[in-house]
Amino acid sequence: MVLRSVADARWLNMHLPDGFLDARTTLLAAGAAAVGIGIALRQVRTALEPRQMPMLGLAAAFVFAAQMMNFPVAGGTSGHLIGGVLTAVLLGPSAAVLVLTCVLLVQCLLFADGGLLALGANVFNMGIVSTCGGYMVFRLVKRMVRMDSTRSTVLASAFAAWVGTVLAAISCAGQLALSHTVPWSVAFPAMTYVHMLIGVGEGLATGLIVLGVLRARPLLVAGAAEKAPISLSGLFGYGLLIICGFAVFVVPFACRWPDGLESVARALGFDEHAAAAAVEAPFADYRLPFVGSATLATALAGLIGTVVAFVAAYALARVLVPALSASKKDAPTRN
Amino acid sequence: MHPPATEPARTAPLFHVEARIKLLGALALLVGIALLPRRLTLLYLFPSGVVLALWLWARMPFGYALRRLFVVEWFVLGIGLLTLLHPGSLPLFFSIVAKSNLCMLTVLLLTWTTPFQDLLQALRRFRFPPVMLGTLALMYRYLPLLVEESRRMHRARASRTFSRRRGLAWHNLAAIIAQLFVRSAERAERIYLAMCARGWK
Amino acid sequence: MTAAVELRQLSYRYPPRGVLALDKISFSVGPDECLGLLGPNGAGKSTLLLHLNGLLPEHLPEEPAVWIDGQPLNRQNLDVLRQRVGLLFQDPDDQLISATVFEDVAFGPRQLGIDGAILRSLVQFSLSQVGLEGFEAREPHRLSHGEKRRVCLAGVLACKPSVLVLDEPTSDLDPRGRREFKVLLQSLPGAKIIATHDLELVVDLCSRVVILDEGKLVADGPTLSLLSDEKLMLAHGLEKPHSLLHHHPHGPME
Repeated sequence: MVLRSVADARWLNMHLPDGFLDARTTLLAAGAAAVGIGIALRQVRTALEPRQMPMLGLAAAFVFAAQMMNFPVAGGTSGHLIGGVLTAVLLGPSAAVLVLTCVLLVQCLLFADGGLLALGANVFNMGIVSTCGGYMVFRLVKRMVRMDSTRSTVLASAFAAWVGTVLAAISCAGQLALSHTVPWSVAFPAMTYVHMLIGVGEGLATGLIVLGVLRARPLLVAGAAEKAPISLSGLFGYGLLIICGFAVFVVPFACRWPDGLESVARALGFDEHAAAAAVEAPFADYRLPFVGSATLATALAGLIGTVVAFVAAYALARVLVPALSASKKDAPTRN
Repeated sequence: MHPPATEPARTAPLFHVEARIKLLGALALLVGIALLPRRLTLLYLFPSGVVLALWLWARMPFGYALRRLFVVEWFVLGIGLLTLLHPGSLPLFFSIVAKSNLCMLTVLLLTWTTPFQDLLQALRRFRFPPVMLGTLALMYRYLPLLVEESRRMHRARASRTFSRRRGLAWHNLAAIIAQLFVRSAERAERIYLAMCARGWK
Repeated sequence: MTAAVELRQLSYRYPPRGVLALDKISFSVGPDECLGLLGPNGAGKSTLLLHLNGLLPEHLPEEPAVWIDGQPLNRQNLDVLRQRVGLLFQDPDDQLISATVFEDVAFGPRQLGIDGAILRSLVQFSLSQVGLEGFEAREPHRLSHGEKRRVCLAGVLACKPSVLVLDEPTSDLDPRGRREFKVLLQSLPGAKIIATHDLELVVDLCSRVVILDEGKLVADGPTLSLLSDEKLMLAHGLEKPHSLLHHHPHGPME
C-alpha cells in the first residue's frame, strides 16, 4: 500500500528515487537484485511452459493497472496496492519477481517513479524481499493452519502481504541508513511503523483479491497449488539472498556491533563509518519510557504488530469465507 | 497514468540518435550526479548545465517535465524531511533534493527522446534477458487495454452502487481487480493460440 | 479436385471432464468455395475452427480427422499445413500483440524466415490488400475496432495462406465497417470458412452453409435453401434473414 493524497501525490512509499543511496549501497543492492532475477530467470526457463509465457506480460500489465486503483483510506487519502505477494500467490514467486521487476522498470523509465540507479534497491525491496519473503511466509502459514483450502489461502496471503510490506520497509530503511542519508534510529522506526500501518491495507486488499480469484477460477491461483511452483533450490536461493541482503543492510544497525564493524570497515576502506559514528551518536541514547532504545522499541512493536496482523488476517478469513457445511467440503475448490 | 499522452514529434532533436548511445549517456550522467559531494557546491553546476542544455536541445516542454517532477517531489521531500530530523544535515537535504531532481530530469529526457520500442531494442542489444524483453513488450502493448477494461468495470459497478461506504468500495475494487486478473489470464491463453497460429514456437 | 479443407468424422472432448464438444463432424470445402459455419452460441464453432490449423487437439492423433489440400494434419506436417490455414480470431486484440502495425503484420512472415527488404514489401502489400496503406507506424491501441480487424487480416494474409478461416469477422463492427469488410472479403481469392452470426453476410458471401448445434452437424447445403428454411433455422437457434423474407426454400415466390 502506498498512501497518496487526493492530489494523487505520493507521501511515503518505497520507490526510492536516485540521489538517496550512496554508491556502495546502490551497487550492493543492484548486485542482490541481479542475483534474485537470475534465480527467477533460471526457474522460469525450466518450469514455465511456452503456453504461459504471454501470461507474464499480461500479468505485468495487470499489476500496473491494479496499482493504479484508488483504495479509499481516511478522509481524502487513498492507498495503492503494490501487489508483490499478490502476484507471487497468483503466479508463483519466480514469475512474480520477473513481473514486479518489469513493472518497476517501466515505472522508473516512463514515470520517473523510482530512480534508474536505485532500481536495484527497489527491485530488491519490492520485487524480492516483499515478494519472495512474503511468499515463503504464505506457504508456511498455509501449511501450519488447520483450515479448509480457501480460508487458509486467504488468511495466508493477507498475512504474508503484511509481512512482505514490513520486511521491504525494513530493508529500505537499512539501505537509507547504510548510505548515511537518514540515520538508522530515524529511518527504522519511521519506515517500519508507517508500513506496519500501510501493510494492513496491502494485506486486506490482497486477501480480498485472492478470494475473488479463488471463487472465480481456483486453478488460476498457481502459487497456492499443492505442489509449489518453485523448486527447493529456488526457495533456498531466495531465502539465502534475502538473509544476505538483511545481513548487509539491516543487521549491522540492529545488532549494534559498532566496534567490530568499525574495524572491519576500516580494514575494507569504508572510512565513512567513522563519520557515521559521530553523526549517529546523539540518537544512540534515545530512550523510550519502558524500553532501552529506539531500535529495540521498534522491534518489540514489530513483534506485537505481527501477532495483531496474524489475528486480523485470521478474522478476515473467517468473516469472508463462510464455513462450508460437511457435504460441501468435497467441493472442487479444494486444491 | 499511461504511456505518455504528450508524444514527442518524430522530428524532435535527439530523436535520431541511437538509443544505445542515449541510454549509456543517461546512465553516465546519472552516475556523475550521484557521485557529487553531499552538499551543494560549485561542482553541481556542471551536471546541471548538461541537463539544462539537453533539455533545451530536446525541446522538452517545461509543463510536461514539471508535472512529472511534481508527482514524485512529495516523496523526495518526505524522505528528505527524515534526513532533517537530526542537526546539521540541512546541506545534505539540499544536496539530496538537487540530486534526485537532476536524476529525474535525466530519465525524463531519455524517455522523451526515445520511444519505448527503441529502448527495448537497445536493451536487447545489451543482452537483456529475452523473457523480460518479451514481458515488457506485451506489458506496454496491453496496459492501455487493461486500464480501459478496469474503467469499464468501475463504471458498471458504480452504476449499481448506491452508498459511499468505504467497505463497499474496497469490496468492489477487489472484485474488479480479481476479475481483471481472470480476464487477463484468459486473454493470455488466447494470445498464445494466436501466436501459435502464426507460427510461433 | 482436392478439397482445400476436409473434415472426416472429427470429434473432440474437452480434456478434464470429457464433455463431447464435437461429434463426428464431416464436411469439405472446395479450393475456391466460401463456406458459412452457423450455429447457436456454444455449438462448438470456435472449437471446430481451432482444429483447422492444428491448435486443437493438444496432441495430434496419428490418424487425423483434418485434411488440408489433400494432406493429413499430423505432427509431421503441422508446420507446413499451419501456414496454409490463415486463422483470424474473434477478438483482434488477442492477435495484435506487437507495438506497431508493421511489427504485427511482419510477425508471421518472420517466423517463416522472411526478412529485410522482402519483408517490408510483403507487409506493405498485405496492408494495401486490406486498404490500410501507410499504417505501418501506427500503434494498435490507437486504432478503431475495424482497423484492428483489418490489421489482423493483413497479418494473416502476409503468410500467404490457401484457406482463410474467420471467427465472427463482423461482430462489433458498425454498418459501414461491416460493408467495407464484406467487400474486402469478396476481393480475396481462395477457400474461406466463416463462422458467424451475421446471416446477411453469409447470404452475400457464402455459396454453401453448414449448421452446427451442440457439437453435431445438423445441416449442410446451399445457402439460399438452408437459410430460407425457417423451421430449420429456428430449430437451431437461428432465424431466417430479412433479405430472404420472401424467398421460399424451393425458389423465389414471385
